[in-house]
Parts: sequence; structure tokens; C-alpha cells
Amino acid sequence: MGSIKQIPVVEAKRTNPLARVFDDLVRFCRSRSLFILHYCTGCGAIELPPAMTSRFDMERLGIQPMVSPRQADILLITGYVSIKTLKRVILTYEQMGSPKYVIGICSCTVNGGMYWQSYATAKKLDEYMPVDLYIAGCMPRPEAVIAGLQQLMDKIHSGEASSWEDYYRNYDYYLGNQQKLFGEDWQTPTDVISEAKHYDLLSEGTLGDHTRLLEQHQKPLEALEMRLGHEQEEPAK
Amino acid sequence: MMLTLLDELLLFSGATLLVALFIGRGLAAGWMVTILYGGQLLALLKMAVLGYEGGTIASSLTLEVMGQALSWRFDALSWFFALITIGSALLSSWFSCGAWERSYIRQGGNIWLFHTAMALNVFTMLILLASGDLLSLFIGWELVSWAGFLLMALAGGVAARAAMRYITYAMAGGMAIFGGLALIYTASGSLQLEAVTTAVEQMSGAKLWLLVILFGGGFGVKMGLMPFHLWQAPAYAETPGPGSAFLGAISSRMGLFAILLVLVKLFGIVKIESLKVPFTLIDARDLLAWIAVFTIILPTFTAMKQNDARHLLAWHGIGQGGYMLLGVVVADAMGGAGGLLHVFNHATYQAALFMAVTAVIYRTGTSDLNKLGGLVVRMPLSFVVLLIGIIGLAGLPPMNGFVSKWLVYRSLLNQGMPLLFLAAVIGTLGTILSVYKLIHNIFLGQLRVEHEHVSEAPWSMMIPMLILSAIIFITGLMPGIPLEWIASVLQTVGLPVPDYTLGGVESSSGSLDMIWVIGVLFAGFGVGALVFYSAGRSKRVHQLDNYAGGHFLSADVRYQYSDNFYAGLMHLIGGWYRGSFLWLERGITSLVEFLSLGMQGLYRRANAEFYLLTTALFVIAWVVI
Repeated sequence: MGSIKQIPVVEAKRTNPLARVFDDLVRFCRSRSLFILHYCTGCGAIELPPAMTSRFDMERLGIQPMVSPRQADILLITGYVSIKTLKRVILTYEQMGSPKYVIGICSCTVNGGMYWQSYATAKKLDEYMPVDLYIAGCMPRPEAVIAGLQQLMDKIHSGEASSWEDYYRNYDYYLGNQQKLFGEDWQTPTDVISEAKHYDLLSEGTLGDHTRLLEQHQKPLEALEMRLGHEQEEPAK
Repeated sequence: MMLTLLDELLLFSGATLLVALFIGRGLAAGWMVTILYGGQLLALLKMAVLGYEGGTIASSLTLEVMGQALSWRFDALSWFFALITIGSALLSSWFSCGAWERSYIRQGGNIWLFHTAMALNVFTMLILLASGDLLSLFIGWELVSWAGFLLMALAGGVAARAAMRYITYAMAGGMAIFGGLALIYTASGSLQLEAVTTAVEQMSGAKLWLLVILFGGGFGVKMGLMPFHLWQAPAYAETPGPGSAFLGAISSRMGLFAILLVLVKLFGIVKIESLKVPFTLIDARDLLAWIAVFTIILPTFTAMKQNDARHLLAWHGIGQGGYMLLGVVVADAMGGAGGLLHVFNHATYQAALFMAVTAVIYRTGTSDLNKLGGLVVRMPLSFVVLLIGIIGLAGLPPMNGFVSKWLVYRSLLNQGMPLLFLAAVIGTLGTILSVYKLIHNIFLGQLRVEHEHVSEAPWSMMIPMLILSAIIFITGLMPGIPLEWIASVLQTVGLPVPDYTLGGVESSSGSLDMIWVIGVLFAGFGVGALVFYSAGRSKRVHQLDNYAGGHFLSADVRYQYSDNFYAGLMHLIGGWYRGSFLWLERGITSLVEFLSLGMQGLYRRANAEFYLLTTALFVIAWVVI
């Protein structure tokens, strides 16, 4: 989506003079404490252990692996994504709490790389979810991975790394590409539209033809409410 | 004749039994019995001077049997145990009224028998606690054993078999105590409490050893001390819900009461310490301490392997008894206070835990830990009660179990017993692991489809659980309240008394002020809550919107298993579970069966000449000798 920079972003008006200082502090803290969920889809995964362990030692930058998407900040896609895998990657991405950042590692995530001619591989990752940063190479060495992560930290600190907002603002576009690939009955458990409302990010591009198509067949999951009632319900027949 | 306060209490308790016995089939019988337990509690509180200042209150009833005077009286020790007994009976009985009672009757249970058995248990326990000489102690002991049998055997089937096993152990223990009484009687010619002290003074090493073994073993059976622990868990677990709450809270503590009365008060720890185990460096007190420690470790780790919530809790009941004995045997100010405080604390959280598990059974029909899960969204209050209970059981602040365990640990360190300390800590580790299994498998994880429509336990069950939770927290915050009673108990049994404050104890070798500990803890929670509630809104998601390695979840896929919990740990320590004690028990059983078969063969043989021959042989042998 080339025109993404032109979309006018309405900054919330801050009246508190300390707000900017506070925002800067929050961004600084965010950039210094990153948990990555590495979705090891391809060969790039093999470069992560050296980046994590004592030789290159990611943790000195405040970056650590995390096992579940709910607590993770960065989704690391480390190689080609087959169509089947892409479904899982999108599910995982949507389960992450905002703010969240996506890094595509290896050429395959940029343009399909050596799988260009494959019928089963999604070529460009950023057609399906917003990507903050690509680390190209086949495969990139740990130094490159670390450099990329440092770049992401700078982007988070400066406030540029806001592509997660783009997923909510242009959900219809991304959903359209997903439906093109997976079929019209494609659905993830996460209700992205209500999350967009939750984050106040509902905009023109959020809803469209594709979300209408989704709503036609979507079976919403209702959250389990804490119940204090003492009357036992009869099970539904 | 003037009725003393103790007479009033015993009469009240007897009246409760009669009410349960004669109108226990009525609709409101449960409530009536509960109110009468409340009356008993009031009658006990009228004797509160015992708990705060000490002294004795005698019953006006005395008997003379074969030249032996039988008397009953209450002192601080009896009062303290009676408080726990009546308190747990009141709350268990309250819990059983209303909803639980109706479902129990629906399932074919006999509620009349249940109420009667409970009232009988309380009555006999009060008689035991009031015993003023060794003979009344023995009578009370036997009464309590049989009353316990009645309550345990109620459910029939597995429960009846467990109760049979219990009564076998209890009878053996009773015989041991009877043997001890005979020894004392031959030595001093009396069965008054003072006679024990005189008899003990006259006795030599071997005889005294025999006496300690007979009494320790006999009382230890009731407490479930190693190696007599096998009966307890199944017997308590299979009792109907509120019954197991009551039994788990107090029943086996009667053994500790008797140990305190006979071994600590009458023998004296110094005397026990003077008994050396031949060919070793340890004495009888060390032996008791090590038995206590093994009673902590082994049943606790057995609890970890249980897949039934009630059995898991019942095994813990045995393990926690070890802490009490350990504290009492260490017998310094902190240890004694810790051991006795643990009696009170254990009663509160064990009753709450059994009630919470019973509430879960009431709603879901099962206590199988592999068939539950995710109930926190349906039974949040029961979850909170269970959480408070397991924090107490595991001995973590801010609940009361922490205080008593801290005192026991501290006394072990102060007295220079690092190995016992280490062993006790290993026991606590097992406790924490297994209570996590309990709360995880019932309340956390994935809610099962069949439990979608479950709801919170009814208020008649909830209120006693909440009261117990409040007691657990308040006595954790202000352990000075029970410590005041315990100070009088320690004085009565002749142990040193610690300097206690409202928040804990003060000592040159380490103080504890729970008000500070909890204040700091809650300040930490407060900071966390501030961040949580000020930094953005949280969002609730469906349990199927969960991460399972990117898998799309549906209701027919179970993404969370609770089968074979702690598989990794069992890989390491699984080989240690050999069931040696079960093996030993089976060995003894088959030996007895074999001997009785031989005896049967002997006397069933209608062979007059054979009998004549054996008799003649015996007579000749006797004459010659």
C-alpha cells in the first residue's frame, strides 16, 4: 500500500504541558523492553539462536523471547510464509496486544525470494499485515538482525513505528487481500473491528466491502463473563 | 447441685446430640442443630477465662470405678481444642444446611445419620478434651474413635472400607494406650494424672521407652503419624462433604491433644530428651522430630500424585499434622507456639478448602481433577475461597498458615536443627506444588463444554466459606489473637511462652510483625493495581481466542490438558514412590490372616485327644518350671 504515508493522521490534542514529556518517557520505556514472539516459518530462524545467546546477546538491548502473543511486542517472521502458515501468522498477529511491531526477516518475506514461483507461498507479507521493518538477506546474519532490531528501537522511540494502527485503520484492505488468498469464509477468532473501536482507531478504511462480507458469515465468540448468579442454568437442549 | 460452666457445655452438647437423634429427620433439623452448635460455642466462650488467664473449671460429675476416681475438667489446653472443635462443627453444620442437605437426600444419603454422627463426634471430643485422669482419657479416646468411625462409614462402599481400616488402626492404638495405662497403674497404683509423673520418675530406661512407644504410637495413630498414616486420607476424603471439612479440621488433632497432655505435660520434654536411642547419637525427642518431618514430607508428596481433590486435601491433612508435632517437640517458645498455632490455622483453611471442593462437587458432580477446569468464570467466589485456603496451606503471606510455619522454621533454626529445617522446607515445596495442581485443575485453564451452565455455589454454602476465609486472613494479619490463647496453653503444658504482640512475636532471635508484612505486601499490590487501572483498559477475550501455536481452536478441541500433571517432575522423582508402607501394611495383613487361619484350623478341629495332649503338655511344662 504505497499511499499509506498520505493518509492524514489526526493527532489527539494534548492540553497538559507535561503530556509530551510523558509520551516521550512511555516511548522510551517501550523501546527498551521488547519481547519477541518469533514465528519461525523458514530458514531465517537459524540465525536467531546466535543473536539471542552469549555471542551477540540480544538481551543487552532489552529484547527477550516470549512464548505467547498476548505478552509479546514484536512478531518476527523468519522466512517464507506458505498460505497455510500465513493463516496462523495472522491469527497470532491479531492476538497480540497493541502496540505491536512486525519484522520480516529474509528476502522471502519481502517478495517471495526463491519461492517466487511457488503456488503455495504468500509473496509479500505487507499485503496481509503491516510490517514495520524488513531485514533482507538470504539469510541475514545475526549482526544484521541486531542492527534491524536497533533500528526498530529507534523507530519506536521516535514514534514512527505505528504501523499497528494502520491495521485497524485499513482493516478492509488487509482483509480483502486475506480473503483473496484464503477464500470468502475466512475468519479469525479476534474481532478486529471492535478492537479498532477499543483503540479509537476506527476510520474510513476500517469498514468496507470485505468487512461486510466477513460480517455475513462471522460467528462471534462471546467472552466468558464472570458470573455471580447462584441460580443454576439449565443446559441448552 | 450447682451446675458449673463445664456441666452446661457438656449438657448443651448432649442436648444437641439428642435433638439430632430424635428430630433429626425433620425439615429444619440441620438449622436447629447448627443453632445448638452456636449455643455450645457461647457456652464455651463463657469459659473464655481459661483461654486468656488459665486455671481449670471442673465438672460436678465424678464417678468411682473400682477405687479409681473419674473426673472431668477443662483447662486452657482443653478450651483451645474445644474452640476449634465447636467452631468447625458450627461452620460445617451450617454449610450442610439447605442446598447441600437437599442434594444429599436426593442422592440417597441419610441426613439424620449425618447430623447425629456429627453431634456425636463433637460430644465425644468434648468429653475427651475434658478428661481429668487417665481412665477418663481412655474412655474419651475410645468414644471419639467409634464416633469417628460412624461419620466415616456413612457413605458406604469405599468409605465403609476406609472406615474399617481406620477402626482397625484405632483399636490397635487403643490397645497400645491401654497397655501404657496398665504399666502406669502397676508402677504407681493410680490412674490420676499426677500418677504418671510419679510413675515416670520411678521408671528405668527400658520401661520408660516402652511407655513412650506405647503412648506415642497409640496417640500417633489418630494423628496419622508415620508409619500409621495410611488409613487417614481415604477415610476423611470419602466422608460426605461437610463431614470431611469437620474431620479434616479437628479430628486427627485429638491425637496431638493427647500427646500434649501425656507426653509433653506429664512426662515432660526433658524426660523424653533423656531417653537415648541405643547405638546412635539421637534421643527420643529427635526420633519424634524426625517422625514428624517424615510425616510432613511423605504424605505431602503422596498428595501431589492424587487426582481426586478430596484425597489431595486429606493427604495434606496428614502432612500438616507433622508441622504441629515438630513445633511441639522442638519445645522452645517459638516452636511450641508455632505448633499449636498451626492446629488452629490448619483447622480454618482445611475446612475452607474441603468446603470449596464440596461446593464444586455440588455443582459439577465430580472432584476428579482431570475432569474439571476453567471454573473461575462460573464460580468466582469459590475460587477466591480456595485461593485463600491454599495460600494458608502452602504457608505464604498474607494468610495465617505463614505465621505458624514461620514460627516452626524459626525455632528449628534457633535451636540449631538445620537438617530438620531443610526437610520441613522440602515438605513446604511439595505443598506449594500440589496446591497449585488443585487450583489449576479445578478453576484455571479451559472451561469444559459440559460446565458451560454451572453457576456459583448457593449462599447457604457460601457464607460459612466466606466466614472461614475472613478468619484465615484476619488471624494472618493479627496472629496475636490466637497467640493469646496459645500462651495460656503453653503455660498449662509447661512449655516456654513467647513474647507475642498483636502482629506476631517479638524475640531477640528474630521478630515477626504480620501487620507490617501485609502492609508492605498490599502496598505492592496497590502499585500494581494503580498501573493496571490507570494504564489503559483491559479487554476480555473468549477462551477459544487463545494461542495454541497458531492453531485455530474450536470447542471440540481441548487445547489444555490436566492429565498427568507434573509429568516432568515425576520423571525425576517418580521412582521414589515405591508404596513401601502399603506393602508393609499388606504384609502385616496377610501375616495376621495366615495366623488366624492357623488358629481357626486348630480350634475347629474337633479332636478331643489333641486338646488333652496340648493341655497336659502345658500343665507339665508349668509344673516343671
